[in-house]
Amino acid sequence: MSERPMLEVRGLTKVFGGFTAVGEVDLVVQPGKIHSVIGPNGAGKTTLFRLLTGVHRPTSGSIRFEGRELGGARPHVVARRGLTQSFQITNVFPRMTVLESVQVAIVARHHRSWDFVSAGQDKVAAEAAELLQEVGLAPASGARAQALSHGDQRILEVTLALATRPRLLLLDEPTAGMSPAETSRMVGLVTGLARSRGLTVVLSEHDMDIVFGVSDAVTVLHRGRVICHGSPAEVQADPQVAEVYLGGEE
Amino acid sequence: MSHYLITFLSALTEASSLFVAAAGLTLVFGALRIINIAHGSFYAFGAFAATTLVGSAAGGWRFWLALLAVPLAVAVLGGVTEVSVLRRVYGKDHLAQLVATYALFLIFGDITLRLWGSAARSVAVPAVLAGSVTLDGGEFPVYDLFAIGVAACVGLALWALLQRTALGWRIRAAVEDRELLASAGTNVPLLFTTVFVIGTLLAALAGVLAAPLASVAPGLDASIIIAAFIVAVIGGLGSVTGAAIGALIIALFNTAGVLWAPAWEPAFIYLAMIAVLALRPWGLLGRAER
Amino acid sequence: MATFLAAVRGRRAPAAVVALIAALAVAPGALSQAALLNVQDAIGLALFACATNLLIGYGGLVSFGQGAFYGIGAYTVALAWMHLNTSFWVTLVAAPLLGAVAALVVGLLALRTRQLYFALLTLAVSQLLYVIVQQQESFTGGADGVFGPMLPSFLLSSGNAYWFTLAVAAGGLLLLWQIARSPFGMTLRAIRENRERAEALGVNVFGHQLLAFTFSGFFCALAGVLSVVWAQSANPNLFSWTESGYPIFMAVLGGQYTFLGPALGALIYEQARDVLLASFSDSQLVFGAVLLAIILAAPDGVAGLLGRGGRLLARRWPARTAGGQRAAAGTAAAAGAGAGDGVRRQDRQDRHDARTGGQQDRADGQEDRVARS
Repeated sequence: MSERPMLEVRGLTKVFGGFTAVGEVDLVVQPGKIHSVIGPNGAGKTTLFRLLTGVHRPTSGSIRFEGRELGGARPHVVARRGLTQSFQITNVFPRMTVLESVQVAIVARHHRSWDFVSAGQDKVAAEAAELLQEVGLAPASGARAQALSHGDQRILEVTLALATRPRLLLLDEPTAGMSPAETSRMVGLVTGLARSRGLTVVLSEHDMDIVFGVSDAVTVLHRGRVICHGSPAEVQADPQVAEVYLGGEE
Repeated sequence: MSHYLITFLSALTEASSLFVAAAGLTLVFGALRIINIAHGSFYAFGAFAATTLVGSAAGGWRFWLALLAVPLAVAVLGGVTEVSVLRRVYGKDHLAQLVATYALFLIFGDITLRLWGSAARSVAVPAVLAGSVTLDGGEFPVYDLFAIGVAACVGLALWALLQRTALGWRIRAAVEDRELLASAGTNVPLLFTTVFVIGTLLAALAGVLAAPLASVAPGLDASIIIAAFIVAVIGGLGSVTGAAIGALIIALFNTAGVLWAPAWEPAFIYLAMIAVLALRPWGLLGRAER
Repeated sequence: MATFLAAVRGRRAPAAVVALIAALAVAPGALSQAALLNVQDAIGLALFACATNLLIGYGGLVSFGQGAFYGIGAYTVALAWMHLNTSFWVTLVAAPLLGAVAALVVGLLALRTRQLYFALLTLAVSQLLYVIVQQQESFTGGADGVFGPMLPSFLLSSGNAYWFTLAVAAGGLLLLWQIARSPFGMTLRAIRENRERAEALGVNVFGHQLLAFTFSGFFCALAGVLSVVWAQSANPNLFSWTESGYPIFMAVLGGQYTFLGPALGALIYEQARDVLLASFSDSQLVFGAVLLAIILAAPDGVAGLLGRGGRLLARRWPARTAGGQRAAAGTAAAAGAGAGDGVRRQDRQDRHDARTGGQQDRADGQEDRVARS
């Protein structure tokens, strides 16, 4: 039967000064599903993600993650509860190597980031190496993050989020700026990992092929409000969505 | 009741050059988001240049020349500094920016020492501003009244600039809403240089203005930058009105402190600065942005 | 040579440090009194600079007020002697602890603010202590400072004072190095690289920065004790913000991204200052110019330059030196996606700095809007 939703957002609103970035948004994400959030630029997708991860505090409304209220919790607390994000603009640790970057996430997860008496990070090194192997970044382990190609940096971006073993992964335009080859690699990676790890994924994307190709459910935002949600087929058929968004490309 | 007037006017005098200096600092921070430690150096340049131009000969016209020409000359230096050095650190992290302006502070301080030596110097008040007026409660120096007047004019001029001109609008946009600025098609680098030049001009003007009031000696740059920081922080980084209020508060604090609790007086202002930064970093009138 | 460069760049530090310590240990036999005092001063400053760099290079925090803890360390020794006649060996232990407690208090207050305000706040704390120490003459000796036989007779011989300084500084540096290479140290570096991302991965940034700040206060105070051993007195200038600028300067000069970089900076500063004073009668201009040059052109500091030079050397003459072969292998691994050319990497770094600078602006702006709402 229907399990408890992984994520339940009710009436979520965020107002900046006089401007409503997100207004009365409802969102329900079922466990193990891939849920896409789409909308034109400025629709409020990024603000929504920031609300979910605790960067912004909601003006009103509630966010329930795995049944527990999240709204207002600070970002590191949210991450510990199992909700992590990868960012639209690559947000890595420039001068740290790929291996170190992943180790940071794993160390944090193991509560070992406070450990100032141990030498080195050998215990987590194995786990980090394994993850890098899985995502195909193993050859670049020793390279500094800032030296990677754009596509590899995007993969590292997602890998960092994965390293915290989230139960819900938010991906903010993961394929931004990628070539078709890199895009399909990323899509395959994400969907494969989602299925194999039972991850729930919430995805914001501009690439409609991806959205309708992999999603189990789609929510459409426009000017901070939800104008449609349902299965990909339902959303594609909705006239309001077509008018607002799907008429042109992106 | 009577000597309160004199005390208040003394505080106002102290607040005058402090306000002009802090206004420059706060504008530069508000628009450029840079804490310019070298702002103190520009103030010192103003004061020292005035000592050379005017000296202790109680001349008349030389003081007016200094008041006009020195700030302009130092402003040119400011412009050159901004274009050659600061433009390269805008994109960098806060440490790089702080260290860069600190390095400039060191360089300028050394230049000051070489040009003017380590002895204390003075500037004589022009004859027309010498002497004092008799007020209800005592004598009050004419020059001090003049300084207050200049500060008031500067305040008015800044208000007019910011509220009534296109440049002023752009400066306020840079302080309050960066994205708006870019979308309006402004030449941002040119704007930044302009604001920095204005800030430098204000610093040097404050230096010239304050020169006849106290001796001009090495270490002036360090002491004024601290005072200007405190005023700008309390008033709110980015707010000229805040700088005026902050200058008045600090000057009153100092004056009252000297009268009532001289042992603790210097500590008051630092405590105030710490309190503001810890509890309400954007000060009284600043914007809550960085 | 390669070993030394590797040590400066942070790898295989113990071997090189031991070698360095051995070299320094025999200095009293080889150097004149004056030269020995200089090296002693440099060693103490090296501890001060590395302790400060735990905040700057590792935590991403610019504190313009580490002089506060430096001064607390020095004055703990001086005042305990002056008022309580406490043994130096007791205050040697008490001073760093006091520094740590003070840092904890200041940190709780200061670490909640934005980075720029943090620099100003720490500057204000440093200045506050400076004026208080000057004002409270009866308690602190005022502007003249504290003079007198506050050191045990053991430390009055220049050789003993030197070895003591070396031992304490070496111990302090070893402890700092352990902190730096631990998982905590790695997390600090991540916070420096990208504070927002570290928090998004589950790191309690405030807590980690507070601990780093406390550690830094501890070791800065220890360096303050060493300054008393060197000067045989304590004076209020130790607290001033201009004094706090020195460890920052040394860290940036030597290289803030490597562990021993600041120590190198302290060494260079000490030697250069004397040379400059002899020929120019003042050194600020040169220091300012060098600092500016480093910020604009070589943000990795001297250690970074040495590192790049070492890699270039290793690539050109791989067979000549055994160390070169290892370095070459290391270079190949570290170069990753072909970024072996230091200049190109610099461009990338600058571009990334510009990008992350903007991003940090946006992040800060958003966070401030949270604070407002």
